[in-house]
Amino acid sequence: MRILAIETALAAASACVFDGARSETMAQESIAMSRGQDQAIVPLIDRVVAAAGGGVRSIERIAVTVGPGSFTGIRIGISAARAIGLALGVPVVGVSTLAAYAAPVVLDKSDGIVAAAIDARHGRVFVAAFANGRPVIAPRVSTPRDAVRAMGSGPLWLTGSSAAALAIEAWAIGISAEVVSDAAAPDISYVARIGIAADPQIAPPRPSYLRAPDVKPSQPIAAPAV
Amino acid sequence: MLVLGIETTCDETSAAVVRKRPEGGGEILANEIMSQIAEHAAYGGVVPEIAARAHVDYLDHLIRRALAGAGVALGQIDAIAASAGPGLIGGLLVGLTTGKALAWAAGKPFVAVNHLEGHALTARMTDSVQFPYMVLLMSGGHTQLLEVRGVGDYRRLGSTIDDAIGEAFDKVGKLLGLPYPGGPHVERAALEGDPARFDLPRPMAGRANPDFSFSGLKTAVRNEAARVAPLTKTDVADLCASFQAAIVDVIIDRTRAALRLSREDGAPPEALVVAGGVAANSAIRRALARFCGESGLRLVTPPPELCTDNGAMIAWVGIERLERGLTDSLNVAARPRWPLDDRLEARHHGKA
Repeated sequence: MRILAIETALAAASACVFDGARSETMAQESIAMSRGQDQAIVPLIDRVVAAAGGGVRSIERIAVTVGPGSFTGIRIGISAARAIGLALGVPVVGVSTLAAYAAPVVLDKSDGIVAAAIDARHGRVFVAAFANGRPVIAPRVSTPRDAVRAMGSGPLWLTGSSAAALAIEAWAIGISAEVVSDAAAPDISYVARIGIAADPQIAPPRPSYLRAPDVKPSQPIAAPAV
Repeated sequence: MLVLGIETTCDETSAAVVRKRPEGGGEILANEIMSQIAEHAAYGGVVPEIAARAHVDYLDHLIRRALAGAGVALGQIDAIAASAGPGLIGGLLVGLTTGKALAWAAGKPFVAVNHLEGHALTARMTDSVQFPYMVLLMSGGHTQLLEVRGVGDYRRLGSTIDDAIGEAFDKVGKLLGLPYPGGPHVERAALEGDPARFDLPRPMAGRANPDFSFSGLKTAVRNEAARVAPLTKTDVADLCASFQAAIVDVIIDRTRAALRLSREDGAPPEALVVAGGVAANSAIRRALARFCGESGLRLVTPPPELCTDNGAMIAWVGIERLERGLTDSLNVAARPRWPLDDRLEARHHGKA
């Protein structure tokens, strides 16, 4: 299966075309940016698909990261992915940014816990953890301290843009921890690999914000009508 | 010519398919609109993050429904048009990215549309109105008097220097404890009220520049409400009627000033087109009908569902621009602030 993967939820705009049968990336491009993904992403996809050869009609599935990450970035990627899926008549699957970060580490480490963390501001991280390739902490918002305390005795293999924040907490309480990667965005080819393995029925391209909008209901500002 | 239009500037998500009629004007084959009023009601106004979330949840379903309803495949469409501004950035990015990605994947031209141009040109789709004409746009986000000389050729005669007119209705409704959105509730309450009981100001009345101002009027309502509080049902009705009477006077006075300006400069409009959600207010419509009768203008009032935000007007601008070869690249940026008239003057402080 030939899949187009798209990622704009973090500090980059990335896309790749990946061939599942050959387990090979045909073309990929990633540009570091914390804003402006809306302008960059469609031309970037165009370049990647052109470089992969075979044309846009050779794409059989789209994968897109659905968060957690920047609310705006999540929506840009999902908008692009759903639109391309609609135009080509192919399924679109959603991939967690945390799972995409963790995937290469999970394949590499057979012991301990693999955890991925992304800055969620206000002293918190978006975090998820895996043991033996299975999720042990579902994606959530947490302080680095609470996240590490939920992970047991280690060793911890840490990845994601806030991996260092988890490592500091782990070391402080004597748990063995190593920052495997602190890349600003996950390797786009792993978004594609997870996307190929995913079932479109249970991995819809729906935002995973992990946070409600920051608003409160309002009250009338004068005496209400009697 | 067949164009798909996408609209996501504020709190309506919409996708539409419009066909250009050979004899002029447009035929709306589908105009799917999802209003988010219920999502925002608890907050007394549009919450940008809630709006953006709703747009991304609904938009691709609406596009599928619009294509199915129109009975056309994406491959038969001649271009994709999406509103690129002005509006709330979160929603703009959803609609614009969707439009660009659709255009790329389907191999079609893309048109980035100014939402205000959608309102300005709707009357050409519905009534084949010829240039030049005047548009009075009254919505929750915009209050403008525009001279429409041609596609892409607009002169903003006047605009609000503070609140938009719909915003003034909503704020008055809110401070009187009426449900959101305030506009229709204020109008309904005003039916039972005495428009002469409260002596409210007519801001900007008599000035040569056809600008609007509503924040002082809103404050005057608040002060009167505080003075007679606690408010009875009659008080609320009288306040609504007095407020609406002031609004009507202001609109007629400002439209008259705009017409004078337009006629002085040698581009006399033959028609006045009203647009925006506030155009649904029947007191305002009646007053405008009377004014147009006296002034020898043809009054064009597009149907209510085309006065508020919708994808059909965006598709129509797509048709008008595509016909003139005006298409955009796939890296075009959203423009949260995007005046139709580049000769923007400082007095508006960037307000639309």
